[in-house]
Amino acid sequence: MDRMKPLDPQWAWQTFAPSNERPWNRALAAHLYRRAGFGASVEMLDEAVSREPAEMVRQLMAQNFEANEFRETADQLAQTILASGDAKKLSAAWVYRLLLTPTQLLEKATLFWHGHFATSAEKVNDAHMMWDQNRLLRQHALGSFPVLVQSIAQDPAMLIYLDSAINRKAHPNENFARELMELFCLGEGNYSERDVQELARCFTGWEVKNKAFRKNRYQHDTESKSILGSSGDYDGEDGVRVVLKQPFLELFLARKWYRFFISDEPEPSDELLQPLANVFREHDLQIAPALEMLLSSNLFFSEHAIGRKIKSPVELVVGTLRGLSGTANTQVVSSGLLQVGQGLFYPPNVKGWDGGRAWIDSSTLLGRANLIGKILDDDVTRFSGQKLTDYLGDRGITTALEAIEYFEQCLFALPLDDSTKSRLSDTFSVTAAEPERQLRSLLHACSSLPQYQLG
Amino acid sequence: MSHSANSNRRRFLRSSIGGAAAIGVGSVIPDCLVRAVASEGNRDERILVVVQLSGGNDGLNTVVPYADDAYRAARPKLAIPTSDVLKCDDDVGFHPSLSGMHDLLANGQLTVVRGVGYDQPNRSHFESMDIWHTCRRKDESRPDGWIGRFLDTQTNDSGGDVAALHLGREQQPFAIASEKIRVPTMKEMSEFQLQGRDRQSLRSLLNANVATEPNPLAKNASEPNDLLDFLQSSTTSALAASQRVTEAAGSYASDTRYPDTELGQKLRIVAQLIDAGLTTRVYYVQLDGFDTHAQQPATHAILLRQWSDAISTLVRDLDTHGHADRVCVMTFSEFGRRVAENASEGTDHGTAGPMFLCGRGVKAGIFGNRTSLTDLHDGDLKHEIDFRQVYASVLKNWLDTEPLPILGGDYKTLPLFS
Repeated sequence: MDRMKPLDPQWAWQTFAPSNERPWNRALAAHLYRRAGFGASVEMLDEAVSREPAEMVRQLMAQNFEANEFRETADQLAQTILASGDAKKLSAAWVYRLLLTPTQLLEKATLFWHGHFATSAEKVNDAHMMWDQNRLLRQHALGSFPVLVQSIAQDPAMLIYLDSAINRKAHPNENFARELMELFCLGEGNYSERDVQELARCFTGWEVKNKAFRKNRYQHDTESKSILGSSGDYDGEDGVRVVLKQPFLELFLARKWYRFFISDEPEPSDELLQPLANVFREHDLQIAPALEMLLSSNLFFSEHAIGRKIKSPVELVVGTLRGLSGTANTQVVSSGLLQVGQGLFYPPNVKGWDGGRAWIDSSTLLGRANLIGKILDDDVTRFSGQKLTDYLGDRGITTALEAIEYFEQCLFALPLDDSTKSRLSDTFSVTAAEPERQLRSLLHACSSLPQYQLG
Repeated sequence: MSHSANSNRRRFLRSSIGGAAAIGVGSVIPDCLVRAVASEGNRDERILVVVQLSGGNDGLNTVVPYADDAYRAARPKLAIPTSDVLKCDDDVGFHPSLSGMHDLLANGQLTVVRGVGYDQPNRSHFESMDIWHTCRRKDESRPDGWIGRFLDTQTNDSGGDVAALHLGREQQPFAIASEKIRVPTMKEMSEFQLQGRDRQSLRSLLNANVATEPNPLAKNASEPNDLLDFLQSSTTSALAASQRVTEAAGSYASDTRYPDTELGQKLRIVAQLIDAGLTTRVYYVQLDGFDTHAQQPATHAILLRQWSDAISTLVRDLDTHGHADRVCVMTFSEFGRRVAENASEGTDHGTAGPMFLCGRGVKAGIFGNRTSLTDLHDGDLKHEIDFRQVYASVLKNWLDTEPLPILGGDYKTLPLFS
């Protein structure tokens, strides 16, 4: 499986400079938008191509907060849903953001952290708490990792999810302490069972009462604890600080970002990741400098990254719509995402989504095709507010082959070969009789191809 | 019984060949059905149904050492009262939710293996589950799972049927990962097929795309893209499996009422597919929620009832259809839980726990010594039996396969089958 030659770490993380062999074009701009966001229309790609890649990355990074107007509209929508109290419907409010946000990287990073600090409404069973956690993740998504971890450690939804709503000193509950080290900060094997037990004592007295976090000093174990080589009469915040100091942390996060933003496989070596990890640590675990380095790098714009990831269901559906300035019924999208394995607010377990090949099995493959089919079959689904026929017609596209080549530009990570194109246009021809239905069928067929699952 | 199963299968094969030809789905399906007819002898092969209890089942409150004072001392709030225990002998009994399993034991169709675990136990859900799935530790190469390796040893005479099938909404278990075969997952029968007006053209497009161009991007990429190969073979397998499984399940009638739970409904489909004569050797289902760190009693009672009711219904149903002597249902969990309860009326991650084998082929009873509740390691049980010994017994004595290359070590088999 590992057929790639070892990559030179120094080359890998240098800022990508376009050249004659590797020019900055629509394909690379589309790659940047797919990974640092969800996707972009051909017009947005052309706008991006008129700038330098590093400038584009800086622009994406600078959009680390939502403009008031968009935030108010998106939150208002969420409030209406929250009034109903149904967490299942809440994910539609997030889909609205995914489809329409102007700050794509912020939203992509929020989705990353949702998978990292995975919490499921299935167990928390409180839409308000889930939404508060979502806001928290967005607020710190491109900010400070230590602040993010300290906040999540006191987040009611997280504490309920990890059975840590009650922590008595007599018998500390180990769940949160374990996952803090195993899944959030260090990785399995970089701590001992003893560390789990000692760290759990730091969180005694932390509880959720009336849906809010509070510290119950009568239940806090004030004795000295010994964690990961340091000791003191630590409380929960101190415990988190001890964990954050561990040198495994930066490599653990660098590896997760690599898999999320660059490539599913093969597994990168520690040596390759080390420069990225170092930048993260040198900037006091600020997230943005590390991500900026990653997204502007030679490696990111190389063939080792392009088309080397299997699209998550969110990337597949939202990407297809965003590539054509599309909008759809958010409830249909959100319940469909749950069906094919990425229910927003419903990660499978505390480890989040494994991603990569794990997205794919025979059910999810059929389900992906059926979901896009359902969305395209829905009259509510529009492209820049228009029918697909009109959207493409405005861009001078009328035949099946023209449409295929247009989709190839804004939707496909890798170019289609000629025989696939001709088979597509033969099977899904577009006639004057019912062009709208036929164009939508053609788009459905394109998006069901195995190669379309690559992002 | 075997006569009715046989004619049932013939009927199914006839109807699906006719159906496939009538709607003209191309060459893929009729071809594999023809092979299925030719290899009808395989339908007597033994089948394994694996049931995974995810989250770490509390073994001590499942198979309860009710006569042990140390049990009550460690579990002041959580111990099952002696009067509620469904007694198996003078030492142990079952959680009151397990009436179905208790009946199976009485009917000679259940063996409980006590104290199953492994050396240097890992208490992470994910790492421990990976160890159970692959039989390898983290520092070793783990490209596939133990069932996947078993499937790799099987010659390709399954008549075009899927070698194994995973049923459920969860991610595919690592155990069935193979380097050669793509095991399908079926989330729900109704979703397990292409839908919409264009499904026929879409099906032929996807089949053609895979058939004539194994790697259409090869000329565009300077390095091979393994992910693309994976997606293409998965697509072929999905299309074939979807057609075959949906048709097979359609032709089943049973008087047995399955519990109206997800697990019950999944096992009903398993019974349908077995009865339709699919040559699939392994079925895999999961039941999640056993990570009972807090407020354990109510949750655990519900989960155990779901598990016990569904499994015992399956075994009964297979019995009426004459398949119980060739199906073994094996249940495991990634670890047991801490002997002492915590302050949230729950239990934390532990180590050893019981495994369960059901069906007519097992040697019924409680196997293994009582695990000591006082001689502990770090508050956890010491295991008596390595889980790979149970796997070895299943592979050798049930699936007639040499366990050594699959398990990567020589594990002593146990007398679990009659």
